[in-house]
Amino acid sequence: MFNSLNNNEDVQNRNMKVLIYLLLVWIAFCILGFRLFHLQYVHYKENFERSENNRIRRMEIEAERGFIYDRNGEILVRNRPSYQIVIDAEQMPRKKDAKDSLFRLLLEIRNELGVRMLDSASLDTAFQRTAWIRNRPIRILEDASPEEVAIIEEHSQELPGVYAIIESRRDYPYGTLAAHALGYTSEISEKQLASEEYKDKYESGDRIGQKGLEQQYDIEFRGKDGVKTVEVNAYGRIVSEMKGMGEQPAIPGMHLVSTLDLRVQLAAEKALPDSVRGAIVAIDPRNGEILAMVSSPRLDPNVFSLKRKERNRGWAKVALDSTRPLLNRAIAGVYPPASIFKLVTTGAGMEHNLLSVNKYYPHRCDGGYQFGNRYQKCWGVHGNLNVVNALRLSCDVYFYQAGLEIDMERINEFGRRFGLGEEILGVDIPGERRGWLPDSASFNKRNKRSGWRWARGLILNLAIGQGQLVTPLQQAVLVGSLATNAGVYRPHLMKELRSRDGTVVKRFTPEIVRPGKMKESTHQVILAGMDSVVNHPGGTGKRGALKGIRVGGKTGSGEWKKGEKTHAWFAAVAPLYAPEIAVSVILESSGGGGALAAPVARQVMEAYFSRDSVFSRKENP
Amino acid sequence: MKKFSILGKTEKMDWFFIGVTLLLMGIGVLLVYSATSTVSEIPFYQTLWFKQIAYFLAGIVIAIGLTFIKITVWRKIALPLYLVSLVLLIIVLFFAGDVKGAGRWIDLGFFKLQPSEFAKIAYLLMISTWLSKHPVDFLKFKTFVVPGLLFIFPFVLVLRQPDLSTALVFTMVTLTGLFMAGLRLSEVFFIVSPFFSVILSHSQVAYSQLFWGGFICVLGFLLYRRRLPIALGMAIFLINIFAGYTSTMAWNHLEPHQQKRVETFFNPMADPKGDGYQVLQSMTAIGSGGLSGKGFGNGTQTNLSFLPEEHTDFIFSVLGEQFGFIGCAIVLILYFLFLWRAMEIAKLYAHPFVVILSSGVCAIIFFHVTVNIAMTIGLMPVTGLPLPFLSYGGSFAMTCMCLVGLLCNMRLQGYKMKGKN
Repeated sequence: MFNSLNNNEDVQNRNMKVLIYLLLVWIAFCILGFRLFHLQYVHYKENFERSENNRIRRMEIEAERGFIYDRNGEILVRNRPSYQIVIDAEQMPRKKDAKDSLFRLLLEIRNELGVRMLDSASLDTAFQRTAWIRNRPIRILEDASPEEVAIIEEHSQELPGVYAIIESRRDYPYGTLAAHALGYTSEISEKQLASEEYKDKYESGDRIGQKGLEQQYDIEFRGKDGVKTVEVNAYGRIVSEMKGMGEQPAIPGMHLVSTLDLRVQLAAEKALPDSVRGAIVAIDPRNGEILAMVSSPRLDPNVFSLKRKERNRGWAKVALDSTRPLLNRAIAGVYPPASIFKLVTTGAGMEHNLLSVNKYYPHRCDGGYQFGNRYQKCWGVHGNLNVVNALRLSCDVYFYQAGLEIDMERINEFGRRFGLGEEILGVDIPGERRGWLPDSASFNKRNKRSGWRWARGLILNLAIGQGQLVTPLQQAVLVGSLATNAGVYRPHLMKELRSRDGTVVKRFTPEIVRPGKMKESTHQVILAGMDSVVNHPGGTGKRGALKGIRVGGKTGSGEWKKGEKTHAWFAAVAPLYAPEIAVSVILESSGGGGALAAPVARQVMEAYFSRDSVFSRKENP
Repeated sequence: MKKFSILGKTEKMDWFFIGVTLLLMGIGVLLVYSATSTVSEIPFYQTLWFKQIAYFLAGIVIAIGLTFIKITVWRKIALPLYLVSLVLLIIVLFFAGDVKGAGRWIDLGFFKLQPSEFAKIAYLLMISTWLSKHPVDFLKFKTFVVPGLLFIFPFVLVLRQPDLSTALVFTMVTLTGLFMAGLRLSEVFFIVSPFFSVILSHSQVAYSQLFWGGFICVLGFLLYRRRLPIALGMAIFLINIFAGYTSTMAWNHLEPHQQKRVETFFNPMADPKGDGYQVLQSMTAIGSGGLSGKGFGNGTQTNLSFLPEEHTDFIFSVLGEQFGFIGCAIVLILYFLFLWRAMEIAKLYAHPFVVILSSGVCAIIFFHVTVNIAMTIGLMPVTGLPLPFLSYGGSFAMTCMCLVGLLCNMRLQGYKMKGKN
């Protein structure tokens, strides 16, 4: 071929080579063509389906949680949008080194303040969980700020499988207000998931109500999650929503109208500072509606909706606190009922005609009472008293003798009739305790280990309310139903459940759970006693009096530990002869009930009666 | 005046060829547009498709410039260009920062120069120059000394980047040059036979021993037919046996990412989110296009970013998804027409430089097209070779347009190459 431009044979040879070359090209292109035909014609269907599945995903639509209102329509609990940074196992890289580099990259992401957004321990947990949680994204940063979301979105190309979603989180606009009654929400715990009660209703990752109304009415608040079909891109970001593919709209949860009255609650919160341990319960004795419920110290339920870090900090604060802010003292704090129990002793005596207005005991109060070889002191020197004056002055000596005469069986029976003792009242939030009315059998059973035996001398203590256990709720129920003499209604916080359009789905029907009845003569004596405590000279509860409205009540100073200040009790009802509100107040180890607890109860009642009356009177005719 | 005919052998400007080239470029811009149009909200002059047009326009200017350079200049500047390209390759190997695994660029600020692209052209000129001046004979060892040396430097430098596929482009150019310069097809086959031995005997190939055994038999038969000197024949045969048995050792010396690419090539389904992801998504995209495609702009795979690097290496998947088999076939035919018209130049003028250079250009284009498309449809491992005229990318667009310019130059001035060498 060289140097032979005109050599025919060489030209042919060269043309042959060009032909061979083009033939090779042709063969190669034919192979490509066959393969293309194979993919695009023979296997068209599979490939088309795969491309569709690639981009189409069924997603759950979270149903919005129902709100909680007070009885007048003020919002107590609502929702707020909250950004969650999540990692999706389906979208994240599978290879180990790619995963590791994603991990490192995430750790290095800093927020606008230059602080790392994620900590390695929780991120590590999230990465481990991606191994077995594949059907839903896993949160790696909860409640992210808009700036943090923007930072993640900026780096979305480098962070496969990491993206932001919007969830709604609980918002408690009044912070700690009625926190124990309302409860809070948090992610369902492993323990709850394993329990029978929750197993079939919830799945891992759900945020559920914990404590209070949030827990009690969780199913109603929750609504029903919907399903939608969306088109997503390779980064898992939703590009569009697709219609007509079996979507189900989410059914938002019901709103709950609670029995709480915001103004009464606010007054109660104000009257009981966080530094004092204690509780306040205000109920309507005519139907059991709880108007206010305070337990102090409080917790802020908003903490549980925050970022993991802040949440943990807040959680540690309340969980490790020796004053136990998590305890709802109003229903789960048990205390000696103290002198308020003298109303029960009185009632039992009157019912069995062992006491009367004209009956005086032989031993006048000279500061104490000799029983066998024991000398039981009274808190003062009261002289000779009838039952009403004994109540007014809260004289122990009188009730020592009355107790011995009446005996515990009768007293306890009367107490149980009005809500104390062996059964819980059935308030519609979890955690209620039932208290204890000891008699010889239950006392011996309870003190089996310590070897204490029932003795008649114990009646002296029990007759004045030292030795029993009651909750503040029970105390309020007790004085309320003693004043109405119309039965003990189940105390409750739920007034109505309303659907989103405002129609009432369910209304709480008042329910009598204890007879709560006594003879009229008994009733009169008890009313007179409660009246004199507040309104008569020398009455221990005079600081509980209101102008223009007759308040009846009973003070108490519960001894619980030698050398400590007594628990200050005050239970009141007003108006005494047509009761609308019953309040019980306990201030732990503060001192005397008349001095400290009575003013607190008065503030609560004041708030109740000074409400915008047009509104409330109509509702409670 | 000559009679005007589009396919005429005497036509100095091959308008048909130029038309095919422009058509391919137009399709390329269209595909880049549809692959990247989802990234909206940026001014059009910052979009990739607009940049691609800019690159092509610059490339056309360069091609026109190259067309009118005196043809005799090429052989004079071949050696300096070759040496410069080697220097650049060394620079990029030792001084370029490593971006995304492989440092292959020199950042000039306004332009990221890829020395391996420049080296493709320089090497093509160099090998064409040498082979057009020196006779080639398979039986003479000295035939291979200088081409071998010319080949080994850029090959090794590019391989070290590491960029196996580009290194193989140099191999293709060399083999084509040797073939057009005088080697027979069977002789070329003997040269590359050890390579086939390595591939076929690899344990990851199904029935590898059967394939390799058959291959060895064919090789032996050809060696016998060609009646080569007994020593040379035996040597080639033994080298093949040796290569086959040591292929596992060679395998162990591959880069991990190359190993993985080969591994997933054989079984892309094994790890759909890992290494095989690209290939699987690409095959799905192409396959879901069907016969006539989903229509322009309706590619769900591409528009929703399931396809990685869709506008560069996997542009063919964009084509397959949106225009289906018909679109793919048309593009393949266009490539064939391009190569056919280019090879016509080799038939038009008999001067070895023109012949070797034109066929070398064809080799580069052909290799890129085949390897890229085969990669997107799962016939070959993922290599990172772009598709000429269709893939987005400045450096490679320039390379392609330079090659087109060289072809036009050969066509227009090939008759000037007269006399001895």
